[in-house]
Amino acid sequence: MKKKKLMAMLLAVTMIAASLSACGDKPNDDTSDGSSNSTENTAGTPSGTDNEQADVPESLEEITLTFYSADGQADPWTDPVALAITAATGVKLDTSYPLSSEEEDIALMIAEGNYPDLIFAKGSAGNLIDAGALIDLTDLIEEYGPNIKKMYGEELAKLKYSADDPSIYQLSSYNVGGVTYETGGTLQLQWDLVKENDYAIPQSLEEWEKMLKDYMAAHPTTDDGYETIGLTISCSDWHWYITLANPAGFIADGAPDNGQWLIDENYNAVYKFCSENEREYFRWLSRMYDEGILDNNFATQTHEDYIAKIATGQVLSIIDSNWDYNDAITILKADGKLGKTYAELPFTMDEDIKCATLMYQGLTTGYGVGISVDCKDPVRAIKFLDYLCSDEGQVLTHWGIEGVNYEIDENGHRYRPQSEIDYNNTDTEYSKTTGVGFHTYPFPTYGDGIVDSTGSTYTTTSKDSVINNYTTEQQAGCAAWGVELLTDLYPQPSEFATPPYSAIWAYAKPSEFSEIESLLDEIAWPGLIKCITDPADNFDANYDKMISDLESVGLYDAQEMLTEIIKEKVAMVQ
Amino acid sequence: MRATGKKVKQKKIKQKFSWQLMYKQRYLLLMSVPFVIWLIVFKYIPLWGWTMAFQDVKPATFALPFFERTFVGFENFKKAFTDRIFVQTMINTIGLSILGIALGTISAIVFALMLNELRYVKFKKITQTISYLPHFVSWVVIASIAKMVFNDGGMIDTLTGKSLKLMSTNSMLFWVVICIINVWKEVGWDAIVYLSAMAGIDQGLYEAAKVDGANRLQRIWHITLPGIKPTVVVLLIMGVGGALNVGMERQMLLSNAIVQDHAMVLSWFAYLRGIGNNNYGLGTAIGMFQSLVGITLLLIANKVASLLGESRLV
Repeated sequence: MKKKKLMAMLLAVTMIAASLSACGDKPNDDTSDGSSNSTENTAGTPSGTDNEQADVPESLEEITLTFYSADGQADPWTDPVALAITAATGVKLDTSYPLSSEEEDIALMIAEGNYPDLIFAKGSAGNLIDAGALIDLTDLIEEYGPNIKKMYGEELAKLKYSADDPSIYQLSSYNVGGVTYETGGTLQLQWDLVKENDYAIPQSLEEWEKMLKDYMAAHPTTDDGYETIGLTISCSDWHWYITLANPAGFIADGAPDNGQWLIDENYNAVYKFCSENEREYFRWLSRMYDEGILDNNFATQTHEDYIAKIATGQVLSIIDSNWDYNDAITILKADGKLGKTYAELPFTMDEDIKCATLMYQGLTTGYGVGISVDCKDPVRAIKFLDYLCSDEGQVLTHWGIEGVNYEIDENGHRYRPQSEIDYNNTDTEYSKTTGVGFHTYPFPTYGDGIVDSTGSTYTTTSKDSVINNYTTEQQAGCAAWGVELLTDLYPQPSEFATPPYSAIWAYAKPSEFSEIESLLDEIAWPGLIKCITDPADNFDANYDKMISDLESVGLYDAQEMLTEIIKEKVAMVQ
Repeated sequence: MRATGKKVKQKKIKQKFSWQLMYKQRYLLLMSVPFVIWLIVFKYIPLWGWTMAFQDVKPATFALPFFERTFVGFENFKKAFTDRIFVQTMINTIGLSILGIALGTISAIVFALMLNELRYVKFKKITQTISYLPHFVSWVVIASIAKMVFNDGGMIDTLTGKSLKLMSTNSMLFWVVICIINVWKEVGWDAIVYLSAMAGIDQGLYEAAKVDGANRLQRIWHITLPGIKPTVVVLLIMGVGGALNVGMERQMLLSNAIVQDHAMVLSWFAYLRGIGNNNYGLGTAIGMFQSLVGITLLLIANKVASLLGESRLV
């Protein structure tokens, strides 16, 4: 009797497990070698290579390349676009992605000396290069990558690693050129608050502060009874880089995004919290904390708490990047609280400081896909990447399949039928099911607004598509400000010169430098929060203490090292 | 008294090593061979990796064979010991351990005593089961629950109507909060050992005490507690031996930027400097230091226990 019971229970458990796993992975019945998207499968499994003939380079024989994507998600490679890519190149991707952070995975890969065929390592690329895990792509691109060369044009030289080692280890995972149609700006203010101030855009910290105080006095709680919060920040984990550190540089110094660094015109790098402007900015934050305008629970809240707060509509302003708070906006829109969504504004703390959000910093290098030393067939891999860079590949990955996802009008221009746009807007699984836009990032891509030989844009985002997507609040804002696009409010890209170096945050930096940089961040993170949460009277003492701590771990060495690195890069490009 | 009597007996039985004895016990010895091999393969061979503590091992040199890496002597140790946060990390590790062992042991014993005194068996069993469930739950889950309760503006702040700043005071208060969370997670599990020790106490003693007119508390004090003393001592010795092995994930998951100074522990430090900065030599040096101090502590605790006239662990 007991045995039977036990058997029954075992059976039940297995069945539950089986049904659960069936839900997790979509059945992979059409893959010939049965490779699944398991995360452990980062090793270069030699599946499919057995019957490969190296002496027939043109063969489209199917090959499965393992791909580690630091920003990846489950990709069974079964959507129509993926199948079309395989039909054109013969390559199938077996994607694995990090469960926690890519840093751990990459460190583990290096420790094991076991790499997937293609790697997108994000910030850990420098370590891979130090470990000799990536191969030099220069010759491969020369021989097999006409489309890659065409896409990057003059900026190809920026992909070179350093003066001592002018190899190209990675392509870039960011757009080449293009126009920014949508941005989160440097300050996000609730539309309700903007409207109450007759669409005035704050020009200084004082104006912003006054707006918050007036609104909070008039509306101590939201309609749902939540307490109004003037400003909140997410900083209990890496998000501090996005919502605490980045806005400081944007607002106080009008700096473009160079990570934790400010670069002057002579390429001198300064750890940005040493800037006097930023000290004043943090002094203001500290006062806001004391006065209860800045959320008093900001220091310990998790990012989930932060998103949940924004989603209730109680937070009047945030200083974040749009990709970081989009989850909350989706909820607000679903709840119909459009007035609680945000106007994304070009804000700096002084009228003389120009908001650099729209500045084109040049090609972002350092984050990108590379080919590993363990790659079973680098030629096929580079050809695969080249295909993705070709006009055909770009249209396929961005627009999908002709007649299904897009149509061609009488002028020969591509357009998406309204039904497809609606499908995209209503189904969160759209990208995954149809494959449209699912295989673009982190592969190279043209920027928005760039047109191919037919006169259509490579990407689906265009001025019209952005305007069509505006909410009623955004439309009202455009009307009030007398602009066509919200980005017209910003200083335009033409007002800035593109620097000869790429954005510093994405650089694959040597590990001696990264080591000091991580020490600096380790001090600045709690240091800044302490400066804010301590009474404003102690602010200067705390800030000075933080600076002296920074100095003690090699602040000046790091600044000099980075200056050298940038100068080298600039010399290499020129 | 029984325990010591047994020990004397054991000592008498102890035989001197001889080939004859080995032959006599050949089957037993054969049976232990797989485990000895397992021990050597998984516990001793990896010790070879300690050599990295004396070398410069970074991603670029990791793949090199042993002799081609640069030897740096005690450079890694020097770097670890002079690190800006090393001293604070040691203080945190030891402080958290002592506090954790003290709070953990006391609460587990008290809990076990209470369960032991329960007469309604069904209730006792249910309580026990519920109490050790959190032990099997991952720290990730426990930490997110704990944060809802203890964070600024969390459950406790709301209930008391005050801003207690339990998780945002950069002081030893954070140790206490962590240890309380740990007690909540582990008390049921830890109590099991004490409960089984209590079950081994001769019921006759209780009856005799009852006849002599001892009340419940007196029985606990004079019979139960002395009865579990050897168990307590053994567990304490083990606890002290593992004093430096404060779990990293607990600290990482519960900490935030403000309390960083009081959350950093040795294993996390090794991870941060070793894996985090890809300086494997440095990480190994810290780990090696942790093991060596751990062994020393274990030996000291063992010696102290034997001086106190209690059974030794090793």
